[in-house]
Amino acid sequence: MSSKTVNRRISKTVIYILLFVLSVIMLVPFVWMVTASLKLNKDIFIIPYTWFGFEPRWQNYIDIWTKIPLAKYAANTVKLTIIVTILQILTSSFAAYAFAKLNFRGRNILFLAYIATIAVPWQVYMVPQFIFMRKLGLADTHLAIIILQAFSAFGVFLMRQFYEGIPDSLCEAARIDGMSEYRIYAKIMLPLSKPALSTLVIFTFVNTWNDFLGPLIYLTTDSKKTLQIGIKMFISQYSAEYGLIMAASVLSLIPVLVVFMALQKYFVAGITTGAVKG
Amino acid sequence: MKKRLLSTLIATTMIAASLSACAGSAAPAAEAPAAEAPAAEAPAEEAKTSEEAPAEEAPAEEAAGDEAVTLKWALWDKDATVYYQPLIDGYTAAHPNVTIEMVDLGSTDYQTVLGTQLSGSDASFDVVTIKDVPGLVTLANKGVLEPLDELIAKDGIDLSVYSGITDQIKVNDTLYELPFRRDIWVLYYNKDVFDKAGVEYPTNDMTWEEYDEIARKLTDTTPGAEVYGAHYHTWRSTVQLLGVLDGKHSIIDGSYDFTKPYYDMVLAQQADGVCMDYATLKTQGLHYSAAFYQGNIGMMNMGSWFIPTLIEKVKDGEAAAAANWGIVKYPHAEGVEPGSTLATITALAIPTSAPNKDAAWDFVKFVSGSEGADIMAGTGNTPAMSSEAINSKIAEMDGFPTDANSKDALTAANAYLEMPANEKSSEIETVLNEQHDAIMNEISTVDEGIAAMNEGVSAILGQ
Amino acid sequence: MSNDTADIQVTKTKARMARERKRAMVAYSFIAPNFLGFAIFTLGPIILAFVMAFTEWDGSNPMKFVGIKNFTELFKNDRFTASLENTLKYSLFTVPLTLVCALALAILLNQKIKGRTFFRTVTFFPYVASLVAVAAVWNMLFTPGKGGLMNQLLMNVFHVAPLKWAASPNTVMLTIILFSIWKNMGYYMVIYLAGLQGISEDLYEAASLDGANSWQKFLYVTLPQLKPTTFFVSVMLTISCFKIYDIVYMLAGGSNGVVNKSAIVLVFYIYEEAFRNWKLGSASAAALILFAIVLVITLIQFRGEKNYAND
Repeated sequence: MSSKTVNRRISKTVIYILLFVLSVIMLVPFVWMVTASLKLNKDIFIIPYTWFGFEPRWQNYIDIWTKIPLAKYAANTVKLTIIVTILQILTSSFAAYAFAKLNFRGRNILFLAYIATIAVPWQVYMVPQFIFMRKLGLADTHLAIIILQAFSAFGVFLMRQFYEGIPDSLCEAARIDGMSEYRIYAKIMLPLSKPALSTLVIFTFVNTWNDFLGPLIYLTTDSKKTLQIGIKMFISQYSAEYGLIMAASVLSLIPVLVVFMALQKYFVAGITTGAVKG
Repeated sequence: MKKRLLSTLIATTMIAASLSACAGSAAPAAEAPAAEAPAAEAPAEEAKTSEEAPAEEAPAEEAAGDEAVTLKWALWDKDATVYYQPLIDGYTAAHPNVTIEMVDLGSTDYQTVLGTQLSGSDASFDVVTIKDVPGLVTLANKGVLEPLDELIAKDGIDLSVYSGITDQIKVNDTLYELPFRRDIWVLYYNKDVFDKAGVEYPTNDMTWEEYDEIARKLTDTTPGAEVYGAHYHTWRSTVQLLGVLDGKHSIIDGSYDFTKPYYDMVLAQQADGVCMDYATLKTQGLHYSAAFYQGNIGMMNMGSWFIPTLIEKVKDGEAAAAANWGIVKYPHAEGVEPGSTLATITALAIPTSAPNKDAAWDFVKFVSGSEGADIMAGTGNTPAMSSEAINSKIAEMDGFPTDANSKDALTAANAYLEMPANEKSSEIETVLNEQHDAIMNEISTVDEGIAAMNEGVSAILGQ
Repeated sequence: MSNDTADIQVTKTKARMARERKRAMVAYSFIAPNFLGFAIFTLGPIILAFVMAFTEWDGSNPMKFVGIKNFTELFKNDRFTASLENTLKYSLFTVPLTLVCALALAILLNQKIKGRTFFRTVTFFPYVASLVAVAAVWNMLFTPGKGGLMNQLLMNVFHVAPLKWAASPNTVMLTIILFSIWKNMGYYMVIYLAGLQGISEDLYEAASLDGANSWQKFLYVTLPQLKPTTFFVSVMLTISCFKIYDIVYMLAGGSNGVVNKSAIVLVFYIYEEAFRNWKLGSASAAALILFAIVLVITLIQFRGEKNYAND
């Protein structure tokens, strides 16, 4: 017994040392962002880099609000991100249920077609897609960005893979009880898929939040632009204000981290346990 | 069984496609009833509609005289560029019926966004800014720019004021843009570095050998306290293009042996610590302005666009270590007239799909003409139309070096475009950039790099 | 497929057929909201892009049908073949290495340890942090000169000559591979973390009763149960490796954004063709080749998953 506790203690220590080293490696870019955001532009790309002991330049955090309409851009980004994430969650989990738990003709082919299209680089169909969207009168609208982001194959794929892991017997039992497929989806599958839904929310949120090229191509009116376009505005033809870029990037990272930390708590086991017993 | 699956899939797609087609014709922006694949049809229809466009939109164009017109102007760096608003104000003061709306497409991906926006037929820009010559060539080849020759002839515009630049930007013998800004390359230097080393300031008449000698005198390789006699940004133009300044060679020749002396000079400087190492500069991503502000760089060749930025940064203190700067003309090869230099231009063009072409042309004439040039100079930027008066105006600006040489340096005896127009500009540029990188990284020797350029560009030109 | 064959053997009564039709309709109704949006706005343009592969088009002038000329031209172009080779090389190393790192991380961070939220967030960090920042830190560590941390390590600990990393054609792909694993493993860790939650405690308990040690539990419970997740991760990883673009631009592009043959990748080539040269047909042809490769790999992976499902 006691040797087991010793063993456990050693392995715990090893794990913590590992995690510590790992965190340092992973955190360096963040520390760099924060320190760079407090520097003059000319001091940022100088080697050796000064990590501490310089006079912080808080002015950067004031300038970003006055040099560009950052608040407006942030509001646009928040709006787009929330709408896209909700739509993505609803439509993907809905479609994924059919791909994972229902038998129908063309299921595999349709599914493969879904996945395979993820492989096509956007750069290739960007131009015809843009011409098409403009024909529909959607150029320079937020709706265009929502449409482009909300119906991706990625979410369907992710959710389908998670549903695959949930035993079929569960659905069969519910069907025998006379539940409709819609109710099975709503009452059994959705509650069971919290970890996967959290993952999808995180990824969709991050992707939409950080999307740059899409809004850049589609949104030309100033008042409609997004945060990432705004950040890039600090890179002009003849100069690049990296101090300001980093200040804005640090701020824009906060919502992403909040969402991540809030949702990662759903990554807890025990869900399927209950299900199998039931 | 499999066939059925496939047909289901195709059927679904078709339904989807026709649905989208319905939506397309319902939308107000759609001009033509779309068929099954609306986007595919688009380009074909484009060609037709764009020919008819002028006739249809005639009423709008007549309005150029007195009725209200709004011109959409595609540009980049709307807020960071000081002359857009003065140019607009200057124009609308004389034409109160015209409103000009700036559309900022961003600097970094400008060419991509503009190209995409101008694809298809219903782009709505009246005036577009053209960033560089490869950009001009691709748009002209795409057929989305109005040829300007007739308009120029009709209005009797004198192109000689552009000192030969307009001849270098013709695509298939046609002029598609009028330049309004021209930047020339000069040699910036930090007087403090010279004073400290006890070296005399550079002059407007130096050979490259003299320049190399001065750079070496300024250099101090003490670790931790390095002083670099020269600095070359990672662009190929800082080294490769020095070779075209004798006027005998062009960068689209297909033969690049003339670049050898300059590569040899810079590589030797790099080896001796006279300038920073290319590989480090590239991975580090150090901007040339940040490098110059450190105050340990003696001389740096760069375009005149850096002047307003430098003045501003000296004022706000960021460039304090380089506050005593000056400029001189580019050094020259033995036997070449001093003041031969490189130039880049920024120009305006009118898309074929522009809704208000006449009004747009009037605005383009204003910006690239003498009134526009005067406004440009007032903001410290060099207009395409150069004259003694305009150079004086820039030199009088607060913060511009007060020595006579710096003012004289603004006058170029000969200005060669960094990249003259050629149908294959952008492909040639890729080869040249690639080999520049290989030579500067010392992956290839100068001879190997030049051989690869000769071969690569000849292959492109031979296509 | 096996279900379909079984169905044929059963004599179909009208009632059964009606029920089947109803079931299919239900299934389609689930898929429709996502699929319609997807088909109209994404699939349509993609199919068009594939048609474009056989044409010459600059986005404005009328399309010209040229048959397979784009493809034959591509294989004559050494920039394209270099990009294909680099992409394959990159994917071959990055996919398995990232997958293993992500899984190891997920298992580590799935344990009940103090500060779990913190560690999980930290791991996800390089993925969400600004690419400029991540690349700047990376370049600091991997500076080609003698000052970089990695080169110091090489010289002082391993006593080997310093490397030029991203600046040399021999090591640039290595640098990109290492960078990409570091940046992306947190992302795939999150997916594995979600997948791990789907494994029933009961299975582990049963394995414990059979006297299995931790390693055996991992081999016989965790790994098989994670198969759907691994399928997802490996497919997504493959796809994203084949579509790598911005990392290469950041690490090897320099100020003029030109990438040498030693580091050019497929999507970079596609971007060049499409937006520098406006040869959309040629860009589409390159994309079609990329698509075909990924499709074949995905099919193989899909087979692997199905085999498991039939077990």
